[in-house]
Amino acid sequence: MNRKIAIAGYRMKAASDLVTTRERLTFELTRGLFDDLGIDRDHVGTTIFATNDFLDGRTISNVFLDPPAGVYMRDESKVEMDGLSALVYACMRILSGQYETALLVAFGLCGSQVSPYLHVEYTLNPTYDRQLGLLNELSAAGLQARSFLNKFGYSEDLLDEIAARNLRNAALNRDQARGIKDASAKDIKDSSYLYEPLRELHTYPATDGGCAVLLASETKAKELTDKPVWILGMGQSIESYYLGERNLYESRSTREASGRAYAMAGIDKPEAEVDFAEVSSLFAQQEPILTEALGLYGPGDAEKAYAGDNGIAGSLPVNPSGGPLGAHPICATGLFRLNEAIKQLRGEAGKNQVKKAEIGVVHGQDGVCAQQNTVVVLGI
Amino acid sequence: MEETRIVNATWDVSTFKYRIEGQGLTRMLSGMRDAKLIGIKCSKCGTVYLPGSFYCRKCHIEIDEAIEVGDHGEVMTYTVGYADVRGNPLEEPRVSPMVKFDGCDAWVMGALEGVKPEDVHVGMRVKVAWAEERTGSLQDMQYFIPE
Repeated sequence: MNRKIAIAGYRMKAASDLVTTRERLTFELTRGLFDDLGIDRDHVGTTIFATNDFLDGRTISNVFLDPPAGVYMRDESKVEMDGLSALVYACMRILSGQYETALLVAFGLCGSQVSPYLHVEYTLNPTYDRQLGLLNELSAAGLQARSFLNKFGYSEDLLDEIAARNLRNAALNRDQARGIKDASAKDIKDSSYLYEPLRELHTYPATDGGCAVLLASETKAKELTDKPVWILGMGQSIESYYLGERNLYESRSTREASGRAYAMAGIDKPEAEVDFAEVSSLFAQQEPILTEALGLYGPGDAEKAYAGDNGIAGSLPVNPSGGPLGAHPICATGLFRLNEAIKQLRGEAGKNQVKKAEIGVVHGQDGVCAQQNTVVVLGI
Repeated sequence: MEETRIVNATWDVSTFKYRIEGQGLTRMLSGMRDAKLIGIKCSKCGTVYLPGSFYCRKCHIEIDEAIEVGDHGEVMTYTVGYADVRGNPLEEPRVSPMVKFDGCDAWVMGALEGVKPEDVHVGMRVKVAWAEERTGSLQDMQYFIPE
């Protein structure tokens, strides 16, 4: 990159019901972030939203979100995708040399105001997939889970272990919407099947949540904070929309995206150089699929990894925050991973803190079964 | 913050009109009238798409070579649903596999009948159960049954 870019600060909020409006949430997140940093909206060069018109119930929904974000008489643009895609766009705006700071605002109110599954239903091809009447977000995830378990010969117990680990970690983290203290694999198995092998507690919770993040050029970041977190690399990749045209047990696009991000960050051996990962695994099986695609664990290593290596105290922790099984505010989830990584890198993750946190990798996804993937490498 | 109000309103997405390219779905549907599965093959890389596409994902060229694929195939993955896609409970669990038909590269989703959920496995051979009266619609391929 021709300029260094850092994250200067963030604000995040999640619950099953935040009892708020989109405008108030936008206002409180941005006003709170500016107060944290001791700045005003005059310090913001440009703003990028990551929200979804369908979820917001209005076309070009940023028209009513700009003013509460402090964008009055300024410029703003929107990415109708996961917030990590918006981060890549915001970085480009700073790299252009035109701006010294870029504000990201992302949220989804799928806990209280719109069904999280509905937008995926309307993502489906109207003339084929919808007519067939067999696919929705959960049945697609069930197909993916079965494909993964079968490929490596795992039993459904692995999904229970993954979900239990995440819900235990989420219970330690006050920024999560759902957690289960001391959750065991049995607790997970006691939840009902939705689409076999997927059970209720293998899936993300309907979540209200959002965040605001301020990116800054090197000079500006050092003015704003003593603890800048640097963006070392970024990569994105998209595969076929049709599930039938992918190998569901792997994520080739995440592998492509991470290859680009690692090359930019100068990382040759991710399994040795990366200290931890925060990935947008919306369903239990996606966590090992994604960490394998990120080059952190080998294919078929999942059982060994979940025996301890990828836990909070392990050698290469994955989702020490509890991940999206604790909160999935659609559009903000990738930036939630980013914020959790910032906590780790700054040593502010409390009971979720990993031992060594100098290089972290974060991941965001869009589309059914992670069709589009973004990978960002962070460092201090 | 005094209160949050919920306003009930409708948003009828079904009023959209979708225009589709003929080579893919239309050819698949017309083939179904004759109890055949018709895919489209890329002239460059040889990938066979079903339902067909007018372009190749990988080569990014226009394609239109119709090719018949087998109506027998292998279960690549499956799920057992306890509710329909809108979340309404089903009386009996429904097995929905993705099947890779012989001579085809894509996996096709459908319902599987004639086998208990606990007896389904990845790798099992299945075939299409065609409707007696076929009209050239997706319903012609009623469901899959064990080979």
